Amino acid sequence: MRSITFLASCIAAVSSFAAAELNISQPLLSRQVLPSSFKPPQVFKNANLVRTTMLEKGYARDVINVVIENIDSKPQSEYYVPFETSLLAKVGCFEVRDKKALEKDPFRVEVVAFDEESSTEFYKIHLPVPLEPNQQQVLRISYSVLSSLIPVPAEIGQNEKQYLQYTFSAYVPSAYATEKQKTNVKFPSGDVPDYTKLPTELNSENKPDPQKQGSTFSYGPYENIPAGAEEFVSVRYEFTKPVTHVTQLERDLEVSHWGGNLATEERYWLENRGAHLKGQFSRVEWQKSAYMNPPTAALKALGFPLHSGAVDPYFTDDIGNVSTSRFRPGKKESALELKPRYPIFGGWKYSFRVGWNADLSTYLRKLSTGDSYILRVPFLEGPRQPEGIEYARVQLRVILPEGATNVRYSTSIPLIESSTSMHRTFMDTLGRTSLTLTAINVVDDFRDRGLIVTYDYPWTASFRKPIVITVGMLAIFAATWLIGSIDTSIGKKKAA
Amino acid sequence: MSVQMEDNQLLKQATSPKTRGLLRVIILALIAGAAVSSRLFSVIRFESIIHEFDPWFNFRATKYLVQHGFYSFWDWFDDRTWHPLGRVTGGTLYPGLMVTSGVIYHLLRALALPVDIRNICVLLAPAFSGLTALATYLLTSEMVTSPSAGLLAAAFMGIAPGYISRSVAGSYDNEAIAIFLLVFTFYLWIKAVKLGSVFYGALTALFYGYMVSAWGGYVFITNLLPLHAFVLICMGRYSPRLYVSYTSWYALGTLASMQIPFVGFLPIRSSEHMSALGVFGLLQLVAFVDYVRAQIPNKQFQTLLRALVLLVFVVAFGGLVLLTVTGVIAPWTGRFYSLWDTGYAKIHIPIIASVSEHQPTAWPAFFFDLNMLIWLFPAGVYMCFKRLTDEQVFVVIYAVLASYFAGVMVRLMLTLTPIVCVASAMAFSQILDTYLDARKPKVPAKEEEGADVAKVAAAAVLPEGLRSTRGPVIGIYSYASKLTVVGASLVYLLLFVMHCTWVTSNAYSSPSVVLASRLPDGSQHIIDDYREAYQWLRQNTPNDAKIMSWWDYGYQIGGMADRPTLVDNNTWNNTHIATVGKAMSSREEVSYPIMRQHEVDYVLVVFGGLLGYSGDDINKFLWMVRIAEGIWPDEVKERDFFTARGEYRVDDEATPTMKNSLMYKMSYYNYNKLFPAGQAQDRVRQARLPAQGPELSTIEEAFTSENWIIRIYKVKDLDNFGRDHQSATAFDKGTKKKRGSARRKGPKTLRVE
Repeated sequence: MRSITFLASCIAAVSSFAAAELNISQPLLSRQVLPSSFKPPQVFKNANLVRTTMLEKGYARDVINVVIENIDSKPQSEYYVPFETSLLAKVGCFEVRDKKALEKDPFRVEVVAFDEESSTEFYKIHLPVPLEPNQQQVLRISYSVLSSLIPVPAEIGQNEKQYLQYTFSAYVPSAYATEKQKTNVKFPSGDVPDYTKLPTELNSENKPDPQKQGSTFSYGPYENIPAGAEEFVSVRYEFTKPVTHVTQLERDLEVSHWGGNLATEERYWLENRGAHLKGQFSRVEWQKSAYMNPPTAALKALGFPLHSGAVDPYFTDDIGNVSTSRFRPGKKESALELKPRYPIFGGWKYSFRVGWNADLSTYLRKLSTGDSYILRVPFLEGPRQPEGIEYARVQLRVILPEGATNVRYSTSIPLIESSTSMHRTFMDTLGRTSLTLTAINVVDDFRDRGLIVTYDYPWTASFRKPIVITVGMLAIFAATWLIGSIDTSIGKKKAA
Repeated sequence: MSVQMEDNQLLKQATSPKTRGLLRVIILALIAGAAVSSRLFSVIRFESIIHEFDPWFNFRATKYLVQHGFYSFWDWFDDRTWHPLGRVTGGTLYPGLMVTSGVIYHLLRALALPVDIRNICVLLAPAFSGLTALATYLLTSEMVTSPSAGLLAAAFMGIAPGYISRSVAGSYDNEAIAIFLLVFTFYLWIKAVKLGSVFYGALTALFYGYMVSAWGGYVFITNLLPLHAFVLICMGRYSPRLYVSYTSWYALGTLASMQIPFVGFLPIRSSEHMSALGVFGLLQLVAFVDYVRAQIPNKQFQTLLRALVLLVFVVAFGGLVLLTVTGVIAPWTGRFYSLWDTGYAKIHIPIIASVSEHQPTAWPAFFFDLNMLIWLFPAGVYMCFKRLTDEQVFVVIYAVLASYFAGVMVRLMLTLTPIVCVASAMAFSQILDTYLDARKPKVPAKEEEGADVAKVAAAAVLPEGLRSTRGPVIGIYSYASKLTVVGASLVYLLLFVMHCTWVTSNAYSSPSVVLASRLPDGSQHIIDDYREAYQWLRQNTPNDAKIMSWWDYGYQIGGMADRPTLVDNNTWNNTHIATVGKAMSSREEVSYPIMRQHEVDYVLVVFGGLLGYSGDDINKFLWMVRIAEGIWPDEVKERDFFTARGEYRVDDEATPTMKNSLMYKMSYYNYNKLFPAGQAQDRVRQARLPAQGPELSTIEEAFTSENWIIRIYKVKDLDNFGRDHQSATAFDKGTKKKRGSARRKGPKTLRVE
C-alpha cells in the first residue's frame, strides 16, 4: 500500500515539474484616483485632537489621538486624512487603531490620489463598524515622516554640535473642522535655540505659544479650526547623532528544509543625512576625540540584536570582508556589532551586506493537516540604534524550497507591492518559489513586526533534487560510454 | 637490473598492472588535492580575496567580460585608466585567463551552480595547480621508464614554493594558468617528437595557442622548441618525426598565436620569434637534403648540398639582420635586453628596474623556493646526459636556459621550477628505485663483500650504464645500507614538505591588501587600511573623480575603488608615469598646474610612518624621481633629494627640494600633531621629524585611514578671487602679506575667464 502512495506522489512530483501552481492570496494595496474637485464629505468633526510629534530619533513620528463625531444623519465609515502631495511620499507606517482597543488589528487604510494637478492627497480610513450619527469614536493615528529633518547649519565642523530643523503645521491638517486641538513636540534634549513663536491671540488660553516643559514644547490649544487650515512653524533643535537613512534594504530569507536552516542576508545602502563636514575629514582630530568619546554626528557603529540561535554571521561590502565586527552569542539575543570601515559623516554613504544562519525549527511549523507549513519571521531585523533608522524602501524576499506552492502571507506592515516568482540557484531545475514584498518609508520602530507565510510543500518535492542529480550523473555516464564506443579511426579497419 | 629475481607469485598478483594503474590514479588525485589545499592558507586565514596588484586588474577585466560578453570585451576601450588617454584594453591584454574564468563561470551557471565570479577567480590558480601536477607527471613519464619518477615529479610540482609563490588562492594572475599550459605544451611536444605524430603536433599548437592567449611568457616556448629542434639537427638526429612534429606545431601554432590581438603580427615581425621561423626554414632545407641524399648516393653531391645548406642559412640570417636593421622586423624589446644585461634596465628603462620582481635573483632565493630540489636538479640533468635520447636533450636545454633566466630575474624562477621538479624527480626516483628494491639475487654472489666502494657507488648511479659495470652480481644487497639511504631520503622528503608548507604559509600567503599583525594577547589583528580608503573613495566621491597615485596602486584603485586613475600597473606609457612622478616630486606650484591639466580630483599616497610599514611611497620616492628625471632631466634631479653627504633623509636635515616636494608634504602633513611637540617619529625610517610640519596650499586632506597608511588629498579648485593658493592660504591664516609684494605685481587686471 505504501508503495502505491509513493508511486502516486512521485507521479505528482513529476507532473509538478511541468507546471508549478502558485497562488497569491492577498490583493495589493489599491490606489484610488479621484477627480481634483473632490472634497471629502463633511460628515465628521474632530471633537478633540491631541498630536504628539516625537523628534527624539532621526525622523519625525506623529501620533494623533482624535475624538471623531459623526455629524451626518447616516452612519459613516470613511474618514479622510489629508497630506500634501510632496509630504505624502515621505509618510510611512501609517496606522490607525481604535484607541480603546489598541491590541486589535489596525483599520484598513488606502491612499486616495487625485489627478496630477491636485496638491492634496488623502489617506482613507475604513472604520470597521460604521459610526452611527452623533456617535463618537477615538482614533489613534500614527505615522512617520521621513527625510524631513534638515540640518541647519548645513555644514559643521568635525566636533561641533549638529542642529536639525523640522517644519510642520501647528494646526493639524484635517479634512474636517476641529473643535479643540493641541500639539506636543518632544525633543531629544532641551537645547532648542530657535522655534517659531505664534501670537498669543491664536491660542485659546491666551498663553504664550508654545509652552515649554523641559524638552517638550506644546503648541495650542486652539479652538474651532476649520478644515484645511494651516499655520506653519519650524523648530531647530540639537541632535548630535547620525541621521541614518537607508535608501534601500534588500532582505533575503532562504528556507531550507533539507538543511533545517533559515539563512538571512540583508543588503543595505545607507547614508548619513546629517550636516556635512565643513572642510574635509581630519584623522588627527578624530583620533584625539576618540579618547573622550564625545557625541558625534558621525555613524560609528551599528548594533544588530539578532535572535538567539543565530550563527555564522558575516559582514561584507563591495570589496570583501569587513574585519571590524564583533559577534556575541547570547541566551536572549545575539549581539552583532558592526563597525563600518570609516566613520560615516553627514553626506557620506556606505553600502554593505550582513547575513547569518539560524535553526529553521524555531521559525517553521508543520501544520497538522496535509503538507502545509507555516513560517513566522520578523519582517525587519535591522540595527537597533538609539537615534533610530529610517528605511526609504525595504524589499523582503522569502525564498521557499523548490516545489512549494500555494503561498499566502500576512503582515501588519503596510506594503506597496507583493509578487511571487521563481528564483533559480544552486542545483535547481524549476527554481525556488520566492515571495517578494516591498514596503516604503519604514522606520525602525517596526522592527518587531512579524511576517507569517504559509505554503504547501509535498514531501515528494523534497526528493526532486536527489533524483535530478542521479539522473544527470547517469546520463553523463551513458553519454561517455556511448561516445567512447564510437569508432572514430580513419583508415582501414584491422581484421579482428 | 639484470640480476635474476626470485619470482614471488603472490606479490606479482597483488600489483597487477590494473591495480598499479588504480593506485597511480589515486596517488595523482591525492597529489592534486595536496597541491590545491596547500594554496588555501590565505583563504582560511583571511578571506576569499584577490591579492596584490595585477590580479585586481584581471579580476576587473573578468567581471567586465562576464557582464558585457566576449565581443565587447574584445573591443573594450577603457576610459577609466590612463586618464585622459584611456587604454585599448581589449587589444592590449592576454585574454586567456579571463576567458577561462568566464567559460568556467558560464559552465557552472548552465549546470545550475551560480558560483560568484570572485570565488572562481580566487580559486582558479589552485585548481590549475592540480592540473599542473598532472601535466608534470605526464611530462616526466615521457622522460624515464620508471613511473615513480612521474609521481614524484607531480608531488614536487604540487608543493614546490617556486610555483606556489604565483599560484596561491587569490593570486589571480596570468601565471595561474600559464604554468599548466607551459608544462602541458612541453609534454605534447615531447610526445609529438617521440611519435612523429601530426595529431600531437597539432595538439601542441593548440595548447601553444592557448598559452599565447594567456601569458607573455609564451616566448619561452617559442624559442625553446626551435632550440630543441636545432640542437637535434646539429647532433645529426634529424628524423622525419622531428620534421612532422615541428612543422605541424610551427604552422598551426603561429596561426593560432596571431589570433590574439595583442600578439597580432609579432610572430613574423619581431626578433623574439625569428628563431622559430629560422629553424622552420632550416628544417625544410635539411628535409630536402635528406630526401635528395636518399635518392642520389653521391658523396660529392652531398658535400655540395651541405655547402648549399650553409649558404642558405647564412643568407637567411643575413637577410634577417638586414630586415631588423631597416626596421621591417622589430628589434628586441627593452625587457628582452634586460635578460642579457642585468644593468641595462636600470640605466635605460628605470620603470622596469623599479619592479622588485624584475631584480636579479639572490642565491638564497633558490634554496628558499626549491629547497632540496636545487641540489637534486644537477643530478637529474646529469642522468639525462647519460642516455641522451631526443626528449632528454630537451630536458638539458630547458634546464640550462631556465637556470640562466631564473638567475637574471626573480620572476622567472617560475619557469625554472617545472624542469627542476622533473629533473630532481628523475634523480630521486633513481635512488629510490635502486635502494627500495628488496629483491635479492638468486645466487648469492661471493664477490659481493669484495666489491670495492667505488663499484658499489657506480652501480647505484649507473644501473645500466657502462658495459664494464654491467655484471650479474654487482649491486647493494645489504638491508642496512638500503635502510640508511632510504631513511635519509625519507628525511629529506619530509624536510622538503615541511619547508614547503612553512614557506607557503609564511611568505606567499599574504594578500598584501590586508595586513595582519598580532595583538599582545596573541589574537590576530587585521590592518585593513587599503580597503578602508578604497571603500571611502568608492562611496563618497563622484563616479568620475580622477585619482592620481603612483602606478603601483592603479589597478587596486580601479578594482576596489572603481575610480579612474592616471597611471596603473600596465606601464605602457612611460611619459605619463613620469608626469605623475614629476607632480609628486616637484614643488606645489609646479605640481598644481600638472594636476589641473590632468583633471585630477584626488591624490592618494601610501604612508607607513605611523605603523612602520616599509612599502610606502617615501621609500619608493626615488624611483618616481628617477623616472621623472628620465623625461625632464632639467627640472627633476635625483641629486637634489640627497643631502650633501649623499644621504636620503626625511628629518630636519632633509634637503629643501625634498621638504618642498609634494610627496613629502602629503606624507607628513598634520603628522606631527599626533605627537607631543617636537616628538614626531617616522617608524619606517627611524627619523625624528622636524617640529614644524609641512603646510599645504593647493590641496587639502580629504581622508586618512585608521593607521595612516593611505592618505587621500583633494585638489583644490581655483581660488574664487583669482589669487594663487599660497596667498589665499596665507590670508585665511591671518598672516599679513607685505604690501610691497602686492604692489610689485603691477596693475590689477580684470579676470575675463
